[in-house]
Amino acid sequence: MSAPTDDFLDHILARAKDAGATAAQALSSRTRYFEIEFDHRSVDLVRSTENETTMITVFRDGKRGGATLNGRRPEEVEAAIAAAATAAEAGVADPANDIAEAPSLPPGDHGPLAQDRAAMRAQVDEFLASLPARHPLLRLRDCLYTFTSQETEFANSNGLRQRERRGGHGFRAMFMAKDGPLTTSFNAAGGRSFGPFASLYDAAGVGRLMAECERSLERRPVTGKFVGDVIVTPHCLTGLMPSIAGALSGPALLAGSSPFKDKRGERIASPLFSLDNAPRSADFVDGSDFDEFGVPTRDLPIIENGVLKDFYVGYFFSRKLGMAQTAGVRNSRVRPGETSLSDMIAGVKRGILFSRFSGGAPNDNLDFSGIAKNSFYIENGELRHALNETMVSGNFQQLLQDIHAVSKEVVNFGDCAYPFVAASGVTISSK
Amino acid sequence: MLDRLVARAAQLPAYGELRWHANHSSRIMMRKGVLLANGRSRDSGLSARLYHNGAFGFAAAPADDEASLAAVIATARDNAEFAGGHAASGGLSTAAGSGSYDYRSKRAPLSAEQRVEIVRRLDEAIRSRYPGLVNVDIALSSNASEKILANSDGAATYSFVPRAALVVSMSVAANDGIVELYDILGGFGEIEDQSFDEANLAPWLEDLHENLRRKAEGGQCEAGDHDVVLDSALAGILAHEAIGHTCEADLVLAGSVAGDHLGELVASEKITLGDYGGRGPDGKSSFAIHVDDEGTPCRDVAIIENGVLKNFLHNKRTAQMLGAEPAGNARAFSFQDEPLVRMRNTCIAKGNDKLSDMIGAIERGYYLKRSTNGQADATSEFMFGVNCGYEIRDGKLGRAIRDTTISGVAFDMLKTVTHVGDDFHWSAGGGWCGKKQVIAVGMGGPSIKCRVTLGGRG
Repeated sequence: MSAPTDDFLDHILARAKDAGATAAQALSSRTRYFEIEFDHRSVDLVRSTENETTMITVFRDGKRGGATLNGRRPEEVEAAIAAAATAAEAGVADPANDIAEAPSLPPGDHGPLAQDRAAMRAQVDEFLASLPARHPLLRLRDCLYTFTSQETEFANSNGLRQRERRGGHGFRAMFMAKDGPLTTSFNAAGGRSFGPFASLYDAAGVGRLMAECERSLERRPVTGKFVGDVIVTPHCLTGLMPSIAGALSGPALLAGSSPFKDKRGERIASPLFSLDNAPRSADFVDGSDFDEFGVPTRDLPIIENGVLKDFYVGYFFSRKLGMAQTAGVRNSRVRPGETSLSDMIAGVKRGILFSRFSGGAPNDNLDFSGIAKNSFYIENGELRHALNETMVSGNFQQLLQDIHAVSKEVVNFGDCAYPFVAASGVTISSK
Repeated sequence: MLDRLVARAAQLPAYGELRWHANHSSRIMMRKGVLLANGRSRDSGLSARLYHNGAFGFAAAPADDEASLAAVIATARDNAEFAGGHAASGGLSTAAGSGSYDYRSKRAPLSAEQRVEIVRRLDEAIRSRYPGLVNVDIALSSNASEKILANSDGAATYSFVPRAALVVSMSVAANDGIVELYDILGGFGEIEDQSFDEANLAPWLEDLHENLRRKAEGGQCEAGDHDVVLDSALAGILAHEAIGHTCEADLVLAGSVAGDHLGELVASEKITLGDYGGRGPDGKSSFAIHVDDEGTPCRDVAIIENGVLKNFLHNKRTAQMLGAEPAGNARAFSFQDEPLVRMRNTCIAKGNDKLSDMIGAIERGYYLKRSTNGQADATSEFMFGVNCGYEIRDGKLGRAIRDTTISGVAFDMLKTVTHVGDDFHWSAGGGWCGKKQVIAVGMGGPSIKCRVTLGGRG
């Protein structure tokens, strides 16, 4: 570990008790961040920051209040404890409000302690030097090569203590192609990993998307409106899956607005589709050993072969809903299938390679509509042309049922991992 | 603190800024009477940004003492040298803003009990008045950005800019699933400055519930290109997403199509659109800014004047690269963030047309009342979500529509504008914009009749 445990959280818990807490907890995160930002010409910013954020929760006779501060300036720590206590006093009593009892884990230590900034810089320089030959028409904006080291500590007045450190690299590229008057849409991709990326082109499928971007200078809409297939890319799923996971979560169950609320044990998706929550996964740099109540996390299936096995229910909602706690954090992994991407494309009579969804937030019923960005038209098993001004509309409940292929290829983004997923029954339209 | 930053900034070895920055926020969130969030947060610290050979070095720490200030300056300097940029031609603008802009409430602060009571009583009122609802969410939130900034050119300024919002969301069960609608009240100022008492809220809730009831009875809109009237409540997001982002100079440098159209007619001559300092042209926007986070005094920027694309939005660096003068668009969200090119109060100027005439002029189309999220693109293709709207048939409002998304290519769509309303509306609650960092913005405009593409399964 990079820093010794101190008594900061114990001090907070003691002061919270002095302020009238019947129970209290504190979660502290110390973060060191380093970033090289560049565009297609050169590095334009190097940024390093330090921060320490502490979230204090005070419980008072079944009522709960919170305050978050950063740093350790004594007067601000005292003010935050007082504010949390005052908020708790003003709160609404609920029997679900309490701190957790759980086993304290041995401290977790994941990933490198610090960045090698010279090596990171060398990778950026190599990337920029090779870009004109690899992708002469690409323009980059706000590309970030980063390293983050974060130590997280938890303590509550039941004596529960947790601690973990995670260090990892991140790369994010935003890019477009321009050739005279022809301009593509922006595209962006990135991911995180423990170690430095072997090549920035290989980070989370960035190279594939850059090649697709250059193929997108000539774009046109689909003709008219049709109901067809979509091959949803892993990058597109990063935007779509939170809506589906949200509908499977404790807050949605409390609202009573989830279309899946009574469907545990039922088939809600194609048998080809399996979704796991995997916060302990060794290849998720942004996983977690414990959640915001200090409860150890665990991996478990959410949807297995299309059947809803469990919901994402954290500590508070498990008490509120009378359910077992399953997940205090969310790290989604859709299991790979047995079809190659090329075979998936070959199997589409009429549809699109759906690479990014730019649309209104899906509603409670999981209806969605939006523009298919950075996407391609597929006809008779061939990728034909890049799309513009093309909208997709459908419903995620139905889309899950209509999945007919899942790819072997998977992209790991560092906090989630997805394959390509092919489904039918989506309305695709242009003007 | 300001004196310390001014003294230190004067000693910087190159152009640079020093900033102490705090974000103060609070949030109370209730779902079906269950209090899910009830607290406040404060995030503050020091940052330094130094310019060296065409690149910047930045460093920040969660502290306010002299030793930490010296340390962040040293780290920023080291980072600037490590950035190893190439010497840039021309210097950065030296315009230096000053002044104190303190908008904290003059009213007595509400206690924690009083804030929770606003939410609790509102929840009770809604659930007793509208018993058939599946869910009720109420969120009362505030955010204030407090900054002290000095730069090596002599800028020295303090600001405290608060906003507050009340969001109410209701859900009902329709024949084909759950239907939800939300609306937002509030804007500039602290919670104490808003009118969140029950007497003021009753007609607003009634309108929200009536729109929800009609939405539940409504249907999917027909996908495709349609004549629409965008209510003035949507005009802000149109100004922000369709035009504003496309005209941010960092995106122009990256290849945005706006760069190819400066000086050209890109919209109907009825369209004038600007990005404003202060609190916008009428002084009533949900956001205020007088000096930006590079120390540049804020000036208004005419982006489109009578349909002609006139200017882009700059920070010091993009202005240097494109031979322009910055007008105060460099903004950072927190002490850990460097200033980026951002919009401030972006709006379309009002015209002379009546909303009723616009609706009456459409034989078959849609009246779109409220928006959700939005996105822009380098191609000027934009989209934003719509959660409340109605069909127009033969010049009259018809059945409500379910959630949809509208899109268009801004520089094409704005040429289809035939009417610009005599009404004007700043987006309630204030807008937030995401671009590396999230940041508060003001957005506004009048109702507009134009042609856009709607998504839908109908």
